[in-house]
Amino acid sequence: MNMFLMIIFTLSAFLAVGGALSVAFAKNLIHACVYLLFSLIGVAGLYLTLGAEFVAATQLVVYVGGVVVLLLFAIMLTGGSNLHHVTSRFGLESTPLMGNLRTYIMGIVTALLLIAVLCNVLQGSISASAVVESKFSSTVEQIGVKLVTDHILAFEISSVLLLGALVGAAIIARPYRSSETEN
Amino acid sequence: MGIIPYIVVSSILFICGIIVMIARKNIIAILLGIELVLNAAALNFVAFTKFNNMNIDGHVFALFIILVAAAEAAVGLAIVIRFFQVRESIHIDSATQLQS
Amino acid sequence: MEYSISTILPIMLLPFFAFVLNAFIVKKFTKTAVAISCVAIFIPFIMAMRIFIDFVFNKYSSDYYIHKTFTWFDLSAGAQIFKVQMGIYLDNMSAVMLLMVTGVAFLIHLFSTYYMHDDPRYGRFFVYLSLFTSAMLGLVLSDNLFSVFIFWELMGFCSYSLIGFYYEKEGAGNASLKAFMTTRVGDVFFLLGIVALWTTIGSVSYVEIYKAIAESSLSSPVILFGLGIPLATFAGFCIFMGTIGKSAQFPLQVWLPDAMFGPTPCSALIHAATMVAAGVYLSLRMYPLMDAGGLLEFIAYIGGITALGAATIALVQTDIKAVLAYSTISQLGYMVLGIGVGAYSASLMHLITHAVFKACLFLSAGSVIHALHDHHTHAPVQEMPRMGGLRKKLPYTFIAMLFCTLAISGIPLFSAFVSKDRILGDALVMAAHSPIYIVPAILGFCGAFLTPFYMFRMIFLTFYGEPRDQELYKHAHDEHFSYNRNLPLLILAVFTLGFWYSGSLTGQGIVKVFPESKYEWFQVLVEKPVLNKFLGRTATPLEVSESKEFIEHSHYDPNHGIASEEEAHHVHLIHRFGAAASFLIALCGILLAYSMYITRKFSPEWWTTTFAQWTKALKNRYYFDHLYIDILIQKLLHPFNNLLAWIDMGFYDRYAVDGWERVLALSYSVARWFDNIVIDSVLVDGSGISVRFFNIVLRTIQNGKIQFYFLVLLFVLASYVLAFKPVI
Repeated sequence: MNMFLMIIFTLSAFLAVGGALSVAFAKNLIHACVYLLFSLIGVAGLYLTLGAEFVAATQLVVYVGGVVVLLLFAIMLTGGSNLHHVTSRFGLESTPLMGNLRTYIMGIVTALLLIAVLCNVLQGSISASAVVESKFSSTVEQIGVKLVTDHILAFEISSVLLLGALVGAAIIARPYRSSETEN
Repeated sequence: MGIIPYIVVSSILFICGIIVMIARKNIIAILLGIELVLNAAALNFVAFTKFNNMNIDGHVFALFIILVAAAEAAVGLAIVIRFFQVRESIHIDSATQLQS
Repeated sequence: MEYSISTILPIMLLPFFAFVLNAFIVKKFTKTAVAISCVAIFIPFIMAMRIFIDFVFNKYSSDYYIHKTFTWFDLSAGAQIFKVQMGIYLDNMSAVMLLMVTGVAFLIHLFSTYYMHDDPRYGRFFVYLSLFTSAMLGLVLSDNLFSVFIFWELMGFCSYSLIGFYYEKEGAGNASLKAFMTTRVGDVFFLLGIVALWTTIGSVSYVEIYKAIAESSLSSPVILFGLGIPLATFAGFCIFMGTIGKSAQFPLQVWLPDAMFGPTPCSALIHAATMVAAGVYLSLRMYPLMDAGGLLEFIAYIGGITALGAATIALVQTDIKAVLAYSTISQLGYMVLGIGVGAYSASLMHLITHAVFKACLFLSAGSVIHALHDHHTHAPVQEMPRMGGLRKKLPYTFIAMLFCTLAISGIPLFSAFVSKDRILGDALVMAAHSPIYIVPAILGFCGAFLTPFYMFRMIFLTFYGEPRDQELYKHAHDEHFSYNRNLPLLILAVFTLGFWYSGSLTGQGIVKVFPESKYEWFQVLVEKPVLNKFLGRTATPLEVSESKEFIEHSHYDPNHGIASEEEAHHVHLIHRFGAAASFLIALCGILLAYSMYITRKFSPEWWTTTFAQWTKALKNRYYFDHLYIDILIQKLLHPFNNLLAWIDMGFYDRYAVDGWERVLALSYSVARWFDNIVIDSVLVDGSGISVRFFNIVLRTIQNGKIQFYFLVLLFVLASYVLAFKPVI
């Protein structure tokens, strides 16, 4: 049990971390998107190890099946990776719009700062974290009850939000329709 | 196995997302970073639910985060596509003005 | 009739309104303006007459007076009381003065309609006359020295403008300036006296001053040049200096002869009848103060010297108006002498009689001058050597002038015999009483000898003998009776008769008008103010009982120490002797004049050649003009003036003003530097630059780049977390 969890965790963690790092440093946007897919799958695996099957499933369905595909579509619609090949002023050929050395230095500095912040913040919670084993039961029913009792308002609002997002996205992304072209 | 590995993983995800958001100049790539950050947050919620208390609320929050991320991705990508139609560019720095 | 301010004040306000109105309409409606002026003096005359009759026949006790006040302005703040009261003080003296001023002024107005008729500035003359009359009446009605001073200066201004009335004439402008400046010397002292009284008493009302004198509160010394002078002496002296200036007394008499540059009616009104008499009036009002200050001897000496000195100068004058001017100075000297010897009512009486006969004399002289017209120079003739024999051509003028001359000479049955000889009699009494008065008395009697001489000299030279300038005589207009030329003269001449003023021949109370009184009406009416009546007026009874003790120590003594019956009899004898002596002296003077100018037994030339030095001195008016102009002004004031100018130019101008300018220039450059650097560069440009700077900063921040915002957000968050370490 422990061993099985351990293996799943290791795999999932490796997948998530590796995917995330690849997303961060990939030269190609398409590749980055695919790496994100892996990373999300890894996170879903981590959910499984945490006993959140329903969340893991939702993760897979929504992200892997929806968001990433949507992202890929967007990438394709906006010209893919062949946009604006530019050379940085340091003479390095940089991937178009995927950042250059300067931006990465900035990003890494920020990352280090955030690491410091996170270490600072999570110190207490890490030290206080006592492992409380829970009896591992299915969470789907509990989530369903919770959603329609405690979180009914958030549930309804999220449905409206989804509808709004759907309609809004459709309206925003509708093709450039001008009356002149129709006429 | 405690909570620490989960926190480490989520931190790495979060920081990678931040790096992506800062270093990339492509709007879609930044959206990828946002997805990573959101996932890190959701992972934390679920992890703390598991190790600190057995309340299922963390799961519900994770679900809502996924939901919001999906909506955000849909709207955000719609905006990106629209922006690309207007500006012929998805460079983040070309989006410095609200009016075209 | 109960008098109030509103019933008394129109006496002075009517001429004033006439002045204001005429000042505007005189250019276009000259005749209307003249008529308004005359009416505006005639109505006050009627009112003054009514007041006079009321005072004489109803309330003829000398105690009666009317005192109405109103607050002019009130600057009191808390306990500090500063109130300036104006008001009317009307007693018997004021009533007599009012009647005299209005009557004489009306007659002179009337005469002016004849005399000034052909003058190009006919209307303007009446404007001045109205203003002057108003000021004189205001002075008479005033109840305090402050308003007296106001009207005093107003009269001075009128005098100034009327002396310079013929400003085309050479010397008229200088004469008006001289008159103004000379009287100014006295006025400064007068103002000083007013201030001295004000600071001590807190008021300059007559009543308050009398009260203070009765309480002997004025004997506190004033420290002046290290000498402690009693306040009464100091204030009295200063006020008497005002009299000296205005009434042309001994040191400051130089302006009055020059004042004859003015039109003759103005000379009659201002420089004979009223304004110069106002100085005497003021001294009479302040008689208790001068007595308390022990100034009477000084005043007597001044009066005596003036009386004799002016009379001697009048001996050699050839200008008819100059003779009258010196005669005026001399007569004013008699009035002042009367004040000095304590002949209070006689002095006022002489003021009145002199106003009448001297106005008449001046008007007669005007009539003569008007009749004679030089066809070569087109100027009126005033020189007596060119006249002569005018008796037949100007009969009415001659009669009037003869009456007045007899009056001024002190012939019995005429007015000056009553008044002047009482002054002389009192001077004799005082000389018998105290040897210090012997000199003024002798001076007065010498003047009384000279007065008829020079007056009859004038008469003889003008009206008798053969015409010395035949051409002038031929062209002289014959006089036809006209209401505005001869009527004023004759009316005034009638009033030179003595019985108007005294029921007796000598004015010494032999024939009594009021049986219950031992004196005649004038002496009954006008007595030296008895100050006790003022004591209880405003004070509380407690203060009255206290102040009665002080009366015994008061310097003011209305009886001059002559109290007993025996002494009074003695006085009576001396009076009779004085009257007889002055009559004899006057007769001698007239006879001398007659023998010199009619029968020619003594030749005037013999005198002038024998006493050439004296004649020269007299012709040069005792060198007073020389003293004042050449020595005092040229030698003393001019170098002083130059010194002051040098100090002004070399010191103040150079160092103070220019230095200040330099300081200002320096501070200006500092200010300019400050302006350029601090204000302009730092503040103005600096604000622009700082705006631009922040603009750059903000523009850099607000660049619309989402990633930048995000970075900032993260950094802020991170710094917040790292800095505060929130406990989770």
